[in-house]
Formats: sequence, structure tokens, C-alpha cells
Amino acid sequence: MSKTILTIDDSASVRQMIVLTLSGAGHNVIEAGNGADGYSKAVGQPVDAILTDLNMPVMNGIEFIKKYRQHPMSKGVPIIFLTTESDDALKAEAKAAGATGWIVKPFKQDQLVAVIKKVTGA
Amino acid sequence: MSNETGAMRALTLRLQDEIFAIEAGSVREILDLVPITEVPNAPAFVGGLINVRGRVVPLADLRVVFDMARPEPDQDTRIVVLEVEIDGEPTIAGILADKVHDVTDIDAALIQEAPRVGMRWRPEFVSGVARRDGGFVIIPNLSRIFSVQGSRTAPSAEERAA
Amino acid sequence: MSLPDPTETFRQEARELLDQLESGLLDLERNPSNADLINSTFRALHTIKGSGAMFGFTEVASFVHEFETTFDRVRKGLSPATPDLIAIALDAKDHVHTLIETPQAAGSEGESILQRLRALVSGKATPAVMAEPAPEAVAPTATPPATGKRWRLRFTLPKDALLYGTNPLLLLEEIRAIGPCEITVLTDRIPPLDDLDPETTYLAWQVDLTADDPAAAIDDVFLFLRDGMDLSLVPLTEESTVAEPANVADPLPASADSVADVSPPMAKRRGKAEAQQLTGVAEKSTSSSLRVPAERLDELMDRVGELVIAQARLTQIAAQSSDGNLKTIAEELERLSSGLRDTTMGIRMVPIGTLFSRFRRLVHDLSRDLDKQIEFVTTGEETELDKTMIEKLADPLVHLIRNSVDHGLEPAASRVAAGKPPTGTVRLSAVYAGAEVAISVAADGAGLDAARIRAKAEENGIIAHDAKLTDQELYQLIFAPGFSTAKEITALSGRGVGMDVVKRTIDGLRGTIDLRTKPGEGTTLTLRLPLTLAIIDGMLVRVGDGRYTIPLAAVEECVELPAEAISTSRGRNFLDIRGALVPFVRLRDIFNTPSEPDQYQKVVIVSSGDGRVGLVVDQIIGNNQTVIKQLSKLHTQLKAFSGATILGDGTVALILDTVHLVGMGQAYEDKFKAETTGRAA
Repeated sequence: MSKTILTIDDSASVRQMIVLTLSGAGHNVIEAGNGADGYSKAVGQPVDAILTDLNMPVMNGIEFIKKYRQHPMSKGVPIIFLTTESDDALKAEAKAAGATGWIVKPFKQDQLVAVIKKVTGA
Repeated sequence: MSNETGAMRALTLRLQDEIFAIEAGSVREILDLVPITEVPNAPAFVGGLINVRGRVVPLADLRVVFDMARPEPDQDTRIVVLEVEIDGEPTIAGILADKVHDVTDIDAALIQEAPRVGMRWRPEFVSGVARRDGGFVIIPNLSRIFSVQGSRTAPSAEERAA
Repeated sequence: MSLPDPTETFRQEARELLDQLESGLLDLERNPSNADLINSTFRALHTIKGSGAMFGFTEVASFVHEFETTFDRVRKGLSPATPDLIAIALDAKDHVHTLIETPQAAGSEGESILQRLRALVSGKATPAVMAEPAPEAVAPTATPPATGKRWRLRFTLPKDALLYGTNPLLLLEEIRAIGPCEITVLTDRIPPLDDLDPETTYLAWQVDLTADDPAAAIDDVFLFLRDGMDLSLVPLTEESTVAEPANVADPLPASADSVADVSPPMAKRRGKAEAQQLTGVAEKSTSSSLRVPAERLDELMDRVGELVIAQARLTQIAAQSSDGNLKTIAEELERLSSGLRDTTMGIRMVPIGTLFSRFRRLVHDLSRDLDKQIEFVTTGEETELDKTMIEKLADPLVHLIRNSVDHGLEPAASRVAAGKPPTGTVRLSAVYAGAEVAISVAADGAGLDAARIRAKAEENGIIAHDAKLTDQELYQLIFAPGFSTAKEITALSGRGVGMDVVKRTIDGLRGTIDLRTKPGEGTTLTLRLPLTLAIIDGMLVRVGDGRYTIPLAAVEECVELPAEAISTSRGRNFLDIRGALVPFVRLRDIFNTPSEPDQYQKVVIVSSGDGRVGLVVDQIIGNNQTVIKQLSKLHTQLKAFSGATILGDGTVALILDTVHLVGMGQAYEDKFKAETTGRAA
């Protein structure tokens, strides 16, 4: 089944890769370049999952997660954050803010598809 | 230049009293006479510009190169728009033709090199000569003609006025 | 239509990031304690490392990694951003650029840069601060039993699990995929209805599972939830009852230094998320913008051009018709196509500031290499030019700036001796001037020495010994090929990219180079370039039987040719325009028009830079939108024409090159002045 995934990352090349990978897997992908844009897109339509980078300008990933989780639309929506290191404190912070899971960069395309499958079932 | 059967597919046209053959592959279209804008101080060979489907295309007169008379156009006059390489760059240009004949195959075996002596024109402007229907067909070396002729400029008015 | 290649997108992105990095480093040199700059530099490094690794640029990722580590120390205040560090960082940036663009050219400079970096950073390098991304190794949470194929799994989820996107059904499905199981829901934690919060997870599950060694797989299922949940996995033997072992979920292996060191930067990360003003132009990458292949823009331009031509045709037909509706529509269409044209033209225009910022690095390096203190000032960064023109100007401007600094600016000692400030100033500016843009490079150096130029020109056989030349003509000789002898070419000014090449490039853009100099005070070089908009407003005129278009932006005014000037005396071809003498040229003469001139001729006064000339024509027909078409190689040598256009009736009209014609007028004026002063003397 096709899910709607929102990807938030300030790197256009990473976004592009995610779009290509997930659309290839049959999903519908929406993009945002920073946390603020991501927030407006996340609350502007129903999304089945959100993939967000943490280190972004304007509004970083943790702030986005916190803000989004305050919005009723965020209930039950899995948020996967991208991290470049197995930084446990950062993971804990993200999870405390409301993240569901993570994926470590650099990741392979099939790892991305697998994580999305894990949290959305598709 | 030739297809698998060893023939050159060419468009034949008449300039004054000679028949010329242009490789069919380089011909883009054939137009009836259209208004020609004169370019002041341009070399006589490329004195005009025409509009081909919204594109500004230089118009050349091969009769200049081959020392021919250049009477006013009549109802048989056509403009052959072709792609020619000028100094290595492909360019679209038009040439005047007194009459356009047909697209025909010229047997490669019948094409000979232009004779070095005894010919009316500069040999480097002629790629070859073919026998046909009891006469001769001239295959001009368009790329060479355009590259050489196009670079000549008439002395500018400023220089003459000085 | 082909899909864009993410690797190519990465390369473009990396180029932008590296530019951003360079600007940031240069700014940081001036403001070493500016936290915003440090953070944006760190972030640029971080992004390059992350994306680099994603797209297979592993050498880039590992090289940048160490830099990121160092900058993290700077970010935490453990290391200062010294000029030495900035210098190494700039070299590192160059190396990353090489690694991305031409990896085969990269040598061992990467290692030497890192060594310099390590040497600079006193104290031990602590790469452990940023732990290498560890593979997601999963540690078993319970000792696998020697025997037993049935297991009992019990787990509860954190209270906020549902809210935060965990779907227990998916977890259960994943467990089912491990092996056949029986699932029991444990409801003992559910509170009475009054206290029930539907968003809190109260449920727990018990799964009896048949599998050989499911510990690793179970860990995978609960990968994201391990801390904060209760989980137990025990073997079920036939005789064992439901044993309730204590929660054996291991606490996550805490790495001492990573926890300690990472918390401070997080505080900083949270705080400093606002836009970084100082990154200026680079910040545009986060605003809403679109990357479009250039060919698509060209296509769009062509379509708009065709539309304009068709609309001109319609306007012409409407003018000759008495149909009121047709006239109205034609007018409306003209308005719309004019608007569309303006918008489309705007797309290809890029502020020249993008070019100017590249030069900051150049001047910085020149200042260092030549040991001259230089201040670099830019104005007019927002002046927009066509994208292709900007790219073509890069090399000539680099050369002009290099020349100014190398030959123009004196060393500090000489400057002070001459009563000048020790720091030389190089001023780069761009401004619109009618139908042109003027880009100037000014240096307050020693100025050009006319006598020396003359001597050199004579020495190299460029002019004869007794040739009479005005000062302006002498200065222009520096652009003559062969002017610079081999001795003069310094390592910086380079071989092969001489002033003559600069002139040729500018000529190719149909522009001119102006030179103004004052000995002892300095030199200003001004490039004047026509704005190559593909669709411009033009004034249609008739000369004899031919029609020509003059770019409206260059037209100042139109006057009647006074009766006394009509006689073809070779005398004074000057008009008196409100007291000023303006030279005029008869286009009929230049074009060798055979027919007789009209009785009342008109003069169109056009300007270019500071010069003006009157163009004498037979008739001024009117204004129109002109789609500029390039002339082919066969006609480009005709200097009087800058292009051609297609009129409403389908015929071709040539576009006059006003810059060239004004130049002709100037030449005539200079000559006239020289003659009259000669006669008067």
C-alpha cells in the first residue's frame, strides 16, 4: 500500500535520494527543506510518517519534533530522524521530544525502505 | 555521403546554366521566394537575411562564388534551406536556386574529382563532378565555400568615407 | 524528460556548501568569536560529511570528519578560530572541492592538511567526541538457552508509545514473522474508565513464540523502544509455569565521554537555530527556490519569443482592421505578452554578487601571497545580469583584479612614502547605465605611466616611433596582443591569460573596456556590456528601403535634421542639442543606401556610457517589442549590427549596435577636435 511520507532535510541531494527511493517503493513523498517548512507541511495534510534530519537551519529537527507533537494531527504519526552517529544522548533527546525511531546516515536505500515498512507496515 | 547501395542521395538544382547537386541529408526545407532583407556592407555572397519559421537565416547566393550572372528572381526561384558546417560549427543557411529539380540518386561510381586545370572555378569549392543524362552535375563543397567566402567583408563605409 | 541524478545534485549542492563555507571562513577571520559564524561553518561541514557519505564520497566524508571534530572544539570554546586555523580550513575546503570535482587529481595534500591541523590544535585530538557511526549491532537481551524452542516474551510499551507513532500491531506482525506464536493481551494496567486516557498505552502483551534463537530478532523488532519499555524473553520449558523474571532489558551501554561531551553542544544547537544573517548570499539556499536545467529556461525563452512575434503580427493586422473587438483583444494580448516577457527575462537574471563573492577569496590570497595589505570593497552586488554573461565575465574580471593588485598597487612602504594609507583599496562595482551594465575595477595604486606604455609598445613593435596617439589610445595599447613581454608575466598574472584575451572576451560579448588613470592616484577599468535581454523594446526606423531597430533603452531623444545639415558637405557633422555639440552619422552613408533621401530626415540620438551620437534616418516608424535573434557566423563581423529581429509582417530587420555607432561618433569627434586644435595652433 502506498503511504504518504514527509521528508525534512536541508540537503537537496539527500531529499532527492529519499524521494527516488521511497517513490520507487510505491510511496508518495512530500519534501521540506527545514523544520519550519516541514511543520507547515506536516500539519497541512495527513501524513503517514515523517523522516527528518536533526541538524538544519531555521528550525532544527528536535524543535520540529517538539512543535509537531503539540499539534493534534501528530498523534500516532511515526517520526524517524536521521542521525550521523550512534549518539545515544541525542537519540534520547529526540525520543523524549517525541520521535519514534531513527536511521543512521549513511544508509542504503533498502534500509530506508525497511524502516518505513517497520513503522508504517507498508 | 553515400548510402548502402553506393549512391549519393542528392537534391539537384539549377543555377543559371549549370546543375548542382546538394546532399539530401543536409537539406532542411525548400521555400518559395520570401522577402529578403538586405544586410548593408555584407559580402556579396551572403547579402541577405530571411525568416524561416521564426528563425533568422542568412541567405547566400552561390552564383557569386561561381562567377555567374545574377538576374532578378522569377517564379521558378526557390530558396533551399540547409545545414552546412562553417569552421566546424553546424549552421543553418539558405541558398538561392534558379530552379529546383528533384531528389535523385547519383551513382558514386560516376562521381569524379574536379579537374585541377581547365575548370572555370576554384577547385577547392567543388567536391566532385558527376556525369548524368549526357551532362555534368557539380557537387559544390558547401562547407568550404561558406567558411572562406563568409569571412570576407566589403570595405566598410567608414573606411571609405575617411 | 530524464530524472535528475542525485549524485549530480549532491555535487551542485556541495559546490554551494563549499562556497558558503569559504564565505563563512573569510567572515570568521574578521569575527573570530562570532558564534553564529562558527555554527554555520560547523553545519556546512556536517552536511557535506553526511551527504558525502550517502553518495559514496567516502574520502570526502572521512576527511571532513576530522575537520568537523576540530570545529566542534571551536564551537565549544576549546579552540580559538585563529587566522592559521582559517588558512588551513581554506586549504581543506579546496581539497574537498578537488575530491568532489576531480578526484583523480587529488594527491596526498589531504593528509598533509590534516597533519597541519593536528599540529595546530594543541592538546590531544579527541576524535571520540564524535563517535564514528557504529553499525547497528544488536546485543541480545537475554542469554540464549542451550535447549528449548519455545519462548515467552512479555513486553509493555512506554506510555507515550502510541502517541509518538509506535504501532503495536506492526510490532506484533514483526514478531509473527519470527515464528508461530500465541498472543495474549495483558490488561491489568488499564485504569478505570474515568481515569482512562485514550492516548496513553496501558496494554502489555505476552507472546508465546516458537523459534530457535529469537533474541536478536526480538531486539530488532523493538529496536526503537528498548530503553523505556519493559521486555522479558525467557525460554518456556514444558514444566515451567509462567515465570515472572525481573526486567532484564539491559540499559544501553553508556559511553562516558559521548554523554559528557555531547550535552553542551546540544544546548548550543537548540539555542542558535535562527537564520545566520552573515552568510548572506548563501542563505538563499534555504529560501524557496527551484533548480531548473538551463536548457528548459532557453526553451521557455524561445516560446515567449515566438509568442511576441505572433502577437506583433496580430497587432499589425488589428491596426489595419476596423473590427473593434479585434483591436481590443490585440491590445490586451500586447499587454499580457509584455508582462510575460518581463517575468521570463527576470528568470535568467542573476545578481552579480554571486561573482563578486568569489573574488573575496582571490583578493585574500593575493594579499597574503604578495604581502600587500588590501581592502576589497564591492558595490552594486544586486545588479542583475544574464546568467551566461556572468559566467563569461568571471575569468576576465579575475585577470583584471589580479593585474590591479599585482601591477597597480604599490607595496606598503612606497605607499606610505607617497603619503597614501598603507592599505590599498580595490573597489569592484556594477551599475546599470541605460541599455548597458558598467562593471568597474578600481585600484588606488600608482596609475598607468603613459610614457612607459609608449616605450614598451614601440619596443615590441606595436606602434611606430613617430606615431601620434592620444593618451586614451596609448592606454588601450595594453590590450594589444604581444604587449606583455615574457619578462613581465609574473607567476600570478599568469601566462596566456593576457589583457588581450580579456579584450577579446569582452569584444565577444559586444562590450567595451574603458580606462581611466591618474598617475600616483590609481586606475579604474570599466567594462561596458550590453544587457543581452532576448526581448527588448525597440524603435523601428527606415533608412532607404530597409528597416532597422534601435534598442529603445539607448534612445535619448529624436529631433529633426536641421536644414543646414542636410547639405552633404564634409564639414561639421554636429548638432546643437541645447548647447551641447552632438556628432551625428548618416546611416544612409554607412549602409550605402542607393535611393534618394527623404526630404525631412530625422535624427535619433542614442547614448552609450558618456558618449552620444545622432543617427540620421529617413523615417521613424514606431516602437515595438523586439525579439533578438543572433546573427550567424556569416554576419557577426558587421559591427554596426548586434542582431536581427522578425517584424510583425514577418520580414527580418537588423538591430543596430548603438555602442559601436556611438564609438564611431566619438572617433569622428576626437578627430575633428584634433584637426581644429591643429589648425588653431
